[in-house]
Amino acid sequence: MTDEATKGTTLEGRLARLEEILARMESDEVALEEALKLFEEGVAHVREAEKVLSETELRVEELLASGETRALGGDET
Amino acid sequence: MADDLSLDLFDDGGDPDTEPGRDVEADSSDVEEGLASGSALREPKVWSVQQVNKAVRGLLESSVEPLWVGGEIGNWTRSRAGHCYFTLKDERAQLRAVMWAREAARLPIDPDEGTTVRVHGTLTLYEARGDMQFTVRRLEVEGGDGLWRKAFEKLKARLEVEGLLDPARKRPLPRYPGCIGVVTSPTGAALHDIRSVLARRAPWARVVLAGARVQGDGAAAEIAAAIERLAASGLPDVMIVGRGGGSIEDLWAFNEESVARAIAASPVPVVSAVGHEVDVTISDLVADVRSPTPSAAAEAVVPDAVVLLGLLARAPERLGRALRRTAARPRVEVRERLSRLARSIERRLAPARQTLDMGAVRLERRMATLVAARRARAQALTGRLEALSPLSTLGRGYAVARAEDGSVLRSVADFEPGRRFRLRVEDGTVEAQTIETETLDAGRHDDD
Repeated sequence: MTDEATKGTTLEGRLARLEEILARMESDEVALEEALKLFEEGVAHVREAEKVLSETELRVEELLASGETRALGGDET
Repeated sequence: MADDLSLDLFDDGGDPDTEPGRDVEADSSDVEEGLASGSALREPKVWSVQQVNKAVRGLLESSVEPLWVGGEIGNWTRSRAGHCYFTLKDERAQLRAVMWAREAARLPIDPDEGTTVRVHGTLTLYEARGDMQFTVRRLEVEGGDGLWRKAFEKLKARLEVEGLLDPARKRPLPRYPGCIGVVTSPTGAALHDIRSVLARRAPWARVVLAGARVQGDGAAAEIAAAIERLAASGLPDVMIVGRGGGSIEDLWAFNEESVARAIAASPVPVVSAVGHEVDVTISDLVADVRSPTPSAAAEAVVPDAVVLLGLLARAPERLGRALRRTAARPRVEVRERLSRLARSIERRLAPARQTLDMGAVRLERRMATLVAARRARAQALTGRLEALSPLSTLGRGYAVARAEDGSVLRSVADFEPGRRFRLRVEDGTVEAQTIETETLDAGRHDDD
């Protein structure tokens, strides 16, 4: 398992949450305290997602019978 | 034919099983001698049933080449061991046939009674019963894919009844998967295609392959197991299950129930990618999304990078604007500060990717400043409150003198010489006694 196994810290989780935050902040009447919190959270997600997206090489692994993975070489494109 | 038969019957040591193509010509002289010696006793040679059947079997197997026979299926029975027994018939005749488990296992489904088939195999004799029997190696239903089609329809109907094909079951694909599970052959073209597309469109992604053979005996079980293994790993956000194109027989594993059930049970959405443009497979029907090829599947699972980066680039600005708008509502003092904050954040978090990181750091700093300012204000307030507390005054070195009855002694007049009293200082009390007193000028304060 990796650190990404925890939902909410995956790219999917971050971007989905970011969209949620944007929608809430842009449409609802949000209390200031909450808006501040959302703002902070939103920017953190942008920052983390950027970090993930700056990966430039596809990671390809093979799932072994043990449940562990190992990098799969070859077939470079 | 009759001569050949007798030749074998007289040769007691011969084994038609192991020497089916024996050179009968070479033995003819021995046999004639045998006939001669037998006839000398004038007793007819009596053959055992076993001998006859064994000889006929040898004859059939050695003299009839493998052939195709066409007919209708009758009395199809599949034994517990998987061997299939049936009768081939037409209007005038019947032929017993057997298909051993090894070959029968390749049939997608048992043929119905009366199905017109053609079978390829060899003639033999079932010695125990003396029945001529056709050993079938290959069975084909007229119309090419007949049996496959039938098996497909049957499984489809069953899964439909269970609701597994219900469009309402289809789950949307995650929009931004970080990890993509792939079930296919580790050596196939499908994996290569999927890798190329993902490397181009989503280089940030992680691909986890669970390898499985995608055709041949046992392929379905391997594919189902690989899907389950991936699901159990908890790694993928979405799965691609498939292989490159092939004949209906090559693709058959994707029409097997075990694969269909594994797909249906997957906790994450599954994209089927069986390279078969014409026909749909059961896997396609059960999967959440069907793709015509592995490449198309890879494109379906990752977002358009431009859209994604656009969202990210605009997000800080949008957040800032929304925050400023919210901040415009409440109290004036806070509004001022927050809108300044939001403006500065917006300025610094320029949409360009490189500056995002820096901007966020500055943002954090600004937020910290804001928090610090609030904390300072709160501390100032607390300080003022504390100033009003008598305990705090004592802390600065003042003391309160009290009489034994607890009344506060405020004036020199209260301290008669020799009077005992109690001093309250910050951390306790002191017993004291007046020795001498002096009255100061009025209006003057006793400062330290």
